[in-house]
Amino acid sequence: MLRPNFKYELKQLLRSNWLWLLCIILISLFSFATYNGLKKVEAREALIASAKAKTQENDTKMLKTLDSLEQGLEVHLKPWDLPSDPIVVGSDHPRVAAMPAADFTFLATGQSDLFAHYKKPKVYGGGIIEDFTEMTSPVQLLFGSFDLAFVIVFLLPLLIIAFSYNVLSAERESGTLRLLAAQPIGIRTWVLQKLLIRFFWLSVLVLVSLIGVLLVFKADPFTNISGLLGLLGLVLVYMLFWFALAFLVNLWVGSSAKNAVAMLGLWIGFVLLVPSMLNQLGTTIYPMPSRTLMINELRARQADATERQDEILDNYLRDHPEYAVNDTTETRNFWHGYMASQNLLRDEIKPVTDRYNAQLKKQQRWVNRFKWLSPAVTIQESLNKLAGTATSDYENYREQVLAFSEEWRAHFMPFLYNNQKFAKADYPDLPRFEYQKQDQSQMASIPMLLLISLVLFGLGFLASRNMKSGGILNQA
Amino acid sequence: MIGKTFIKETKELFREGRVRISLFIVLALLGVAVWISTRQYEAVNDQYAAAKTTERSVWDGQGEKNPHSAAHYGTYAFKPKYPLSLVDQGVDKYAGTSIFLEAHNRNDAQFSAAADQTGLARFGDLTPDFILLFIIPLLIILLGYNSLTKEREMGTLALLKSQGISFWKMILGKWTALFLPILVITVTLFLIAGVVLSRIEDFGVFNWDALLAMCLIYIMYYAVFTNLVLIVSALTRKSGVSLVIALSMWIAACLAAPKMATNVANNQHPYPTAQEFAASILEDKENGLDGHNPWSEESKKLEQDVLAKYGVDSLHQLPFNFDGYRMQKGEEHAAEVYFKHYKLLKDQYERQSEVYQGLAVLSPYLPTRFMSMAVAHTDYGTHWDFSDAAEKYRIATQKFLNEHFAENSGYGEWGWQADADFWQQLPAFEYEPTSLKSTIREQKANLSILGIWLLLSFSGLLLTVKRF
Repeated sequence: MLRPNFKYELKQLLRSNWLWLLCIILISLFSFATYNGLKKVEAREALIASAKAKTQENDTKMLKTLDSLEQGLEVHLKPWDLPSDPIVVGSDHPRVAAMPAADFTFLATGQSDLFAHYKKPKVYGGGIIEDFTEMTSPVQLLFGSFDLAFVIVFLLPLLIIAFSYNVLSAERESGTLRLLAAQPIGIRTWVLQKLLIRFFWLSVLVLVSLIGVLLVFKADPFTNISGLLGLLGLVLVYMLFWFALAFLVNLWVGSSAKNAVAMLGLWIGFVLLVPSMLNQLGTTIYPMPSRTLMINELRARQADATERQDEILDNYLRDHPEYAVNDTTETRNFWHGYMASQNLLRDEIKPVTDRYNAQLKKQQRWVNRFKWLSPAVTIQESLNKLAGTATSDYENYREQVLAFSEEWRAHFMPFLYNNQKFAKADYPDLPRFEYQKQDQSQMASIPMLLLISLVLFGLGFLASRNMKSGGILNQA
Repeated sequence: MIGKTFIKETKELFREGRVRISLFIVLALLGVAVWISTRQYEAVNDQYAAAKTTERSVWDGQGEKNPHSAAHYGTYAFKPKYPLSLVDQGVDKYAGTSIFLEAHNRNDAQFSAAADQTGLARFGDLTPDFILLFIIPLLIILLGYNSLTKEREMGTLALLKSQGISFWKMILGKWTALFLPILVITVTLFLIAGVVLSRIEDFGVFNWDALLAMCLIYIMYYAVFTNLVLIVSALTRKSGVSLVIALSMWIAACLAAPKMATNVANNQHPYPTAQEFAASILEDKENGLDGHNPWSEESKKLEQDVLAKYGVDSLHQLPFNFDGYRMQKGEEHAAEVYFKHYKLLKDQYERQSEVYQGLAVLSPYLPTRFMSMAVAHTDYGTHWDFSDAAEKYRIATQKFLNEHFAENSGYGEWGWQADADFWQQLPAFEYEPTSLKSTIREQKANLSILGIWLLLSFSGLLLTVKRF
């Protein structure tokens, strides 16, 4: 029975205009989304490249100046701008700490519109708390971006619903169900076959148009085969999940319109309600401490540190006797006191800022624990990870930048406290930032979703056993 | 005829399980959403009040200090939350809530709630505006998709025709039956919101007019959706197809169009990144007077001008401290630079707004969303307004401090300190959002777009029914 069924479905699909309409819709959605994603990636790469070029240019100038200074030549710079002062190098010649795009960043905007992709940690200047947010119109953040993840998570299920809501009910409504009942095949098996065939054809359509669009837009999907396989796997299990739901709904619910309403209800539940409720619960159970009250706390500490600057410097030097030994002149200027008090302030506020990171991590753990409640959340999270735009990616980047910023400041401290000049020979030793990606393989959610879909199919089989074919035939 | 159709349709609706269930779900969701938002609103307001008083007492209690040190020490402007944010949260989650006001620099608002949440937050929140903008239109579709198709499917169309009914009367009956439950839900929700809001203490700028305006905007929005659903139902033969088409329209209008709009707006009129923006400001600032730098060309020029003006030959002979005067002039230059660059940014934002308005032709959701946020004072425009007001206050504060320094100390006296009780003389920062009248005037374009949607969809409905 599988073979005629397969043939019939194929013929019907090819003859119906729906298929062609679907093809056009899919290709245009994929194209628009891919175009947007690639454009964003392009802008990001260009920005990082230009920042790096600018740094390179400034460095060349700085080295020239240092060279002239070391040869005793005159330079046309104000005395407080001379790069022989380590604080000038540390503040005016920062390194670019960039987070380059990953192979599949165009897939999902994720948190990438919220955060900046490069920072320049400095010894002096810039707030005491590094601000990582990007200057984006909040309207844009509110509406979100039309990316491939949106097409896959939000729109693809709707195409599946339109494709599968009336498999059984259409036969009943056109009166051919009774003819079918005369065939040697169980109704459940028949519905299952029909849905699997549709799943097969829709999968072929989606995969071919997706890869086709990626190739046309030169997104080079084949440079990262495991990533591509991950993407295709995610799309397939997600589609399978919706077909499994369609199977249940076809067996349990009645007329075409009722099926459509039920499927739609499920879509709203999984795609809109469950995620927003999860988020709401997560933020209620692990609430973020108030940022406005945090400012109050920081200000109090800041005032205190400024007042005690001299005392702090004394303590600092007591803790770092090596500086007292290496420097015989022991001259102290503004920077010595300032840096010591800033270091102390940083140490003091670390527990305050750590609270936010800890709470965010707790929220993320909460999401990870319950993301299985909605495959839409699972897929969105996996796509974000694959794209390197997930919350955890930006957290990872933040941590690396903060560590680098620490390293950068620490690098200049011996210069400052030893009253040692920055020389040309010290240039190659400047710390450099290299972003370390975190693991992006998202294979774990694929078998999990597969399992969920299979359980749903099984459930359909088991539960509809007691409503015998007579029941299905006579349903309203 | 209108009345009879209305009664019959309403009876039918309430007999059906799907209507009862969906009404129940929508009401339950609304209840939860209102409850969560009220709690959040009260918590944020408490924090705001606490932060504001603490910051002010920090400022007042600085002790003896040089006014310019105090200017660097700075102060904060906190953005208040407005009562109608209970109904529409708008962009509040994505906009910063506090602005650091210091010497020489204009800072952006910091600490948006979204940056402190997981990626899940981007799916949206369960707030009243989510229900009002997304779920209720969906409810309209669910209640009305088969309003006309069922007459065909059950064969009652022929019976109706044989009775010689006037179709527009029947349609009007059906329209009323579909719209009335929605109207009741909406009005009830706004009444509840009004009662909740007037019970919260210190509700300040809350007024019933704004709430009424918002309610009317949503009623227009729902009328448009009711028309569209009935048009689809009249044009299709099968209920299932009608439902699928109406849904596709909903998805296109509420989900896809806004996202597309952001991409189009940003491709055509991109924002600079924070780093680029800062770099271009720095460049302009360096080309002008630096209040800290007495050796630059601009400073020398200023010196000559002032000496000539007062007819003295040394800065020490001036009746005020030239350091303070130069500091103020530098501040004025920086303020101009910031004004110029923020103006450019604002122009870009206004161009983006025009793109959104242009695309509102595709989706009644867009004008509704923008108007609702504007009335609730949770839109981007209010955020701009607030940040401009904070900048104005920052400039006034710098002037206040520099003048005090210039008038009370001599040239070169950097060690001079103002009295401990001087700080209290600085007026507090107060921000009043725009009045309802001017908000509506600003939203004229969106209002007329929604009006056009309403007119066109009504006439579309009447035209389709003629051929029914």
